[in-house]
Amino acid sequence: MQEVNWKRRTFLTRSCAGFGLAALGRLMGASGLHHAAKAKRVIFLYQAGGPSHLETFDSKPELARMHGKPMPESFTKGQQIAQLQGKPLICYGPQQKFKRFGKSGQEMCELFPEMGSVADELCIVRSMWTEQINHDPAHTIMNTGSIITGRPSMGSWITYGLGAETEDLPGFVVMMSSGKGGQNQPVAMRQWSAGMLPSKYQGVKFNSVGDPVLYVQNPPGVSRDMQKDSIDAVNRLNQRQQALIEDPEIQTPIAQYEMAFRMQASVPELVDMSKEPASVLEMYGAKPGDGSFASNCLLARRLAERGVRFIQLYHRDWDHHGGVKDGIAAKAQEVDRPTAALIRDLKQRGMLDETLIVWGGEFGRTPMSQGGDGRDHHIKGFSYVMAGGGIKGGITYGATDDLGYAAVENPVSVHDFHATMLHLLGVNHLRMTVKHQGLDVRLTGVSGEVVKPLLA
Amino acid sequence: MRYLLILALASVVFAQRPVSFNRDIRPIMADTCFRCHGPDAGTRMANLRLDLRDEATKANRAGRTPIVPGKPEESQIVARVFHTNPARVMPPPSAHKELGEKQKETIRRWVAEGARYEGHWAYEPIRKQAGASIDSLVEARLKEEGLSLSAEADKRTLLRRVTLDLTGLPPTAAEVNAFLADTSASAYEKTVDRLLSSQAHAEKMTMHWLDAVRYADTSGFHGDNLYPSWPYRDYVLKSFLDNKRFDVFTREQLAGDLLPNATTEQKIAAAFNRLNRTSAEGGLQPKEYLAKYGADRVRTVSAVWLGATLGCAECHDHKFDPLTSRDFYSMKAFFADIKETGLVPDRGARAWGSVMRLGTEAQQGQLAQIDARIAALRQQIENQQAAAPELLKAYEAGELAWKVQRPLTAASRNGAALKIYNEEEVDSMPYVGGIIRSFRGPGKGLIVASGPNPDNETYTITIRPAAGRYTALGLEVVQDEGNPGNGVARGADRLAVTEVEAYLGRKRLDFSLATSNVADPTWEQPAMSAIDGDSATAWGVVTYGENKNPFLALRLRQPLVLTGQETLRVEIRHDSVYRKATIGRMRLAMSTGTYGWPEGTDITEQRNKDGKNPGGLPVEVVKALRGEKDADAKALARYLAWMRGETMELARHEQQRYYLEAAIPKVLLTERVEPETVRILPRGNFLDETGAVVEPAIPARFGKLNTAGRATRLDLANWIVAQDNPLTPRVQVNRMWRMLFGVGLSKVLDDIGSQGELPVNPDLLDYLAAEFQSDWDLRRLVKQIVMSRTYRQSSQATKQAAEKDPDNRLLSHQSRTRVDAEVVHDIALSAAGLLKPRFGGPSVRPYQPEGYLGALNFPKRDYSASRGAELYARGLYTQWQRTFLHPSLMTFDAPSREECTVNRVNSNTPLQALVLLNDPIYVEAARVFAQKMLAEGGKTIEEQIDWAYLRTVARPATAEEKAILKELHGKNLARFRADAKAARQLLTVGDAPLTVKAKPEELAAAATVTRAILNLHEAITRN
Repeated sequence: MQEVNWKRRTFLTRSCAGFGLAALGRLMGASGLHHAAKAKRVIFLYQAGGPSHLETFDSKPELARMHGKPMPESFTKGQQIAQLQGKPLICYGPQQKFKRFGKSGQEMCELFPEMGSVADELCIVRSMWTEQINHDPAHTIMNTGSIITGRPSMGSWITYGLGAETEDLPGFVVMMSSGKGGQNQPVAMRQWSAGMLPSKYQGVKFNSVGDPVLYVQNPPGVSRDMQKDSIDAVNRLNQRQQALIEDPEIQTPIAQYEMAFRMQASVPELVDMSKEPASVLEMYGAKPGDGSFASNCLLARRLAERGVRFIQLYHRDWDHHGGVKDGIAAKAQEVDRPTAALIRDLKQRGMLDETLIVWGGEFGRTPMSQGGDGRDHHIKGFSYVMAGGGIKGGITYGATDDLGYAAVENPVSVHDFHATMLHLLGVNHLRMTVKHQGLDVRLTGVSGEVVKPLLA
Repeated sequence: MRYLLILALASVVFAQRPVSFNRDIRPIMADTCFRCHGPDAGTRMANLRLDLRDEATKANRAGRTPIVPGKPEESQIVARVFHTNPARVMPPPSAHKELGEKQKETIRRWVAEGARYEGHWAYEPIRKQAGASIDSLVEARLKEEGLSLSAEADKRTLLRRVTLDLTGLPPTAAEVNAFLADTSASAYEKTVDRLLSSQAHAEKMTMHWLDAVRYADTSGFHGDNLYPSWPYRDYVLKSFLDNKRFDVFTREQLAGDLLPNATTEQKIAAAFNRLNRTSAEGGLQPKEYLAKYGADRVRTVSAVWLGATLGCAECHDHKFDPLTSRDFYSMKAFFADIKETGLVPDRGARAWGSVMRLGTEAQQGQLAQIDARIAALRQQIENQQAAAPELLKAYEAGELAWKVQRPLTAASRNGAALKIYNEEEVDSMPYVGGIIRSFRGPGKGLIVASGPNPDNETYTITIRPAAGRYTALGLEVVQDEGNPGNGVARGADRLAVTEVEAYLGRKRLDFSLATSNVADPTWEQPAMSAIDGDSATAWGVVTYGENKNPFLALRLRQPLVLTGQETLRVEIRHDSVYRKATIGRMRLAMSTGTYGWPEGTDITEQRNKDGKNPGGLPVEVVKALRGEKDADAKALARYLAWMRGETMELARHEQQRYYLEAAIPKVLLTERVEPETVRILPRGNFLDETGAVVEPAIPARFGKLNTAGRATRLDLANWIVAQDNPLTPRVQVNRMWRMLFGVGLSKVLDDIGSQGELPVNPDLLDYLAAEFQSDWDLRRLVKQIVMSRTYRQSSQATKQAAEKDPDNRLLSHQSRTRVDAEVVHDIALSAAGLLKPRFGGPSVRPYQPEGYLGALNFPKRDYSASRGAELYARGLYTQWQRTFLHPSLMTFDAPSREECTVNRVNSNTPLQALVLLNDPIYVEAARVFAQKMLAEGGKTIEEQIDWAYLRTVARPATAEEKAILKELHGKNLARFRADAKAARQLLTVGDAPLTVKAKPEELAAAATVTRAILNLHEAITRN
């Protein structure tokens, strides 16, 4: 606890300008964390579009036997259906083979050999469920714990509560990549919004096209020296004005201009991967500047090293209404190696223990076929994978029924997941609240329990 | 709260006015009594409630009465609070809540005055206060605290304040000078009147209103596509310009369509009801989304007019306010008559459901004429006898198939790199069957554009067709995920080919007809635009994941006979106003017979899978030729007419019709239908249909509407602006107060329920609310406030005020606030002389970083900044993309307007510094500002700095400020002298022309000075 906390404390004594610095004692009480933290930060590898659990981490031999037969009505009656509304519901067997990996014998789809090679670090949760069956609201609940627009995202909550360990970078960074073999569903900016929390806790998006952070580059023709002199002049003018009108508020913009200037150096340095050894690039499968999931994973490690608190990588095209077999293979190729590389790399650097890695999307996919070769959206059961940061590795937790329809053994709700994540960060989800419209709003809404068996 | 308590207390001592329960007693009791003697039965002691008068005035079992109105000496609570025995005194010492002498005395006086209870302040009738004024009420309050109003702000500050507050623009230099020169007593009032009657004032008022009514230009869910809403925004602008009465304004928006003989304007106003977000995501549950749309309306109406968080009651009765789930659904039922579907189509002919076209009579007349002509031409064509046996033969022999060309050269005019892949392998990522596919194979004549990506571009491609007699040239646009503009263009949200020209040597070939396989006016701009010689029109395609490549077929007026030796030069022009709407990948083809559309996904796969279709004819034509039984004879007739060139006139008319139609503004329409049944959804669950059916009704706490039949939206609107509704005027006055002081009298603007904030000066709020309710005249209200001494004070806090009232809630001085996002923008452009005035009109697109919309899809698109004057319109007119609001506006806390927002946050982050320093519009503003400064700002740098300061912050610079800026100027001048290229680079940021003849290094150095001035905290602060 001491270790996690000391850096934060140094910030508490500094100006509260900048982003990502903690909400002081208001939120957590003067004592800092609610309990000893296992994880200092989160890297959330968000697989957007809804990865099929049936071709990734949830093996369902019974579904294979039922392939082509009508889905028993006992499973589906009265349940929400997305694009299959009014269509016949036919069982669709798993399209890829599974095998066991590691000492722990974790059962995973064989398309994920690299993740398999770190299987003993992985905790596979096969019993996730959510409430929302369309992408946008499902992202919203996964990110904010609510479907009401305007609630803070988990990254904002965590940065608000814990601050960041950097003054040159935002505390909450979002990156996005897409590949092939699926449909690129849109992801709205509100998914990393700070909601009713102060804007400085909003996720800052890092881009692979153009400026890595919007407007971080000087205008054409303006050198760094020139920029520095301009900012110095602006700050001197502002200082002068402050002396004149005794406006304490002016201190804030002065600090902001200084931080902006520091960011203009730290961001390009951060995204410049040219100094990474070839072996590291190779391990991730990253080509600097290609904006791929692999490059983003490597950037995530660099952000983690520099003290960023919450790093969220969206990889966008898991929406397999059709062509799930080939589609999953394409996606696996894109994410398997970098995900495993990130885990290994952090472990090598002694950072895995303090970094919670989460891998998963907004929902899963139906055991029923859509159009003969695809799967529709599905909310009753899907899989998540976690590693590091106080998570027990080498275990599979919870289960869906024989056909992979509903989480029946140890179901984990989105709120349970959030509660567990916050717990690992030293935060009691029941106590991290803000007043809004008279309510004590929290990330976990009115439910959520820490899933203790997942904890190391 | 404790703070209020002190105030409440102080008021009793200083002011000789009756004790008010809400102001004076409730805070004391809430803090010290209710814990044990309040509503919560679980913690109640001695079975005594003090929150209800009936309970508190009842004798207990021992015969003692807690409160005997008018008789403090007989009242137990008075006896107990004054008790000196620790075992008897209330609150008990164990509660650690000791009452002060003044508090005790207040309680005694309240009992003596009759122990009058009051309901929640906001629900009580508004108290009219004859003879009061803003200043007298503020001063009375200040006096209680030993504070007073400050002196009037200096003239420059006052003018800049009132100009920014009322118009969102800084005063011009001329306005500053005129105001300083006018020493008459009415100088300020004249200025206020001038500002209030300006269009800029209407724009400022509109800006705030649009936040409240969640106005945006896009639908907000899923594809977040543009929807037709701006005429509603113009309605709001015009209403504020005309100072429309607020009650009328309210009625028109909620129920303009229901007004007797509703005018077009009133119907446009009712688009308010359709400004909610909508989704077109396939597979959505219609009932779920209908529930979302309805709930949005309830939240919006209750927040905007009633200051109530009725949205909280969607799933359960309100926890704090007297609002129930039944109230929520009854409110929703008012809107059950609006025609809508759960899935709201976002493209095609049915896009957005009910839409009103706002054509002029002349436009409608022209349209009717042209439609009649088109119908006649079609009929004429389709009624012809159709038979063409020789065509089938030629087709089956493969003679009609398009001959894909292998280009010899491909070059661009403005820098794009064009690479030809004839037999060479190339990577492709097309969208096929809703999935992004990826493969590598021979290009088969593919031309790929990459590298530099200029806004406008012309491609010149040469081909050498084999010997033959050609009738047409074909242009296939090959879709690929690598192209951000719909997969086909290198940017923008569309493709725009303004012209295709072909040359044989110097001879330009004449095209008579252009057609495309898209052929749908809701998906493309007409193909004829590519050969009409007009660069204002373009063949523009919005393909949206179509599996076929768009294909443009150009019929040669005269067949072209080639020997196989001639080189044909094809020029493809992209001169459109859309930036980067340029082809990313393409092939050229020639037709020797006639032409039809490639049936496969691309032209290299013209044949059907079974090989039976050798290409060159549409399937339905082949069917007709073969006499198949489901064949459409008209398809063949159309085709033959087209071959004979008889469709030219039709094509021209269709093109004309397209542009005529495109020029007609459209707006979302509230169309009334038989109301849907509305049920209470238990816990908000749309799947649960067991809840009771409800009829439209206002929240029960406020009574019942007396209507003959089912209550309508108009009844709701009439209740909202009824003279006995205490909520609407309080809420609106509070919002106006925030606009003019930075904080409302009650600072929670969207909730004046019990969880909101008791106004710091309830008398003042009520006084203004009563005045406002008497005439619903917003302009008079605003004038009344800005004319007050309270408004005109200096923002400088005295030491005493800073200590006693650090948040300045009592208004012993004015406040400094950072201006709103749009105003940040407008100040810079206005100071620079770059702002282009307009009043209404379609939304505009300022510069925006490339790729910012990369996470959007359906369609995949990029952004194309406007051109010319539209680039420099006020921030208010920015195209409001809900899921990706313009990043500079967002950084300065403009809300996404996905939901109603009545209280913008005001943050301060390093990203704001990056925007002001580096966003090209601010760099361009600094550059243009410098141009103007050198041209008009005097000879010396000192004079110039004064000139620029005056335009930005309404005052000249001090000597010290000049010294700082001179130093910056000197350093940068030296740098630019040493690096002329850097100077030129800085000077070419933005589209505005360079208009002064200064040396580049001098202009660039001057631009660093103006840039610093625009970055001043003072520049974006209203003081």
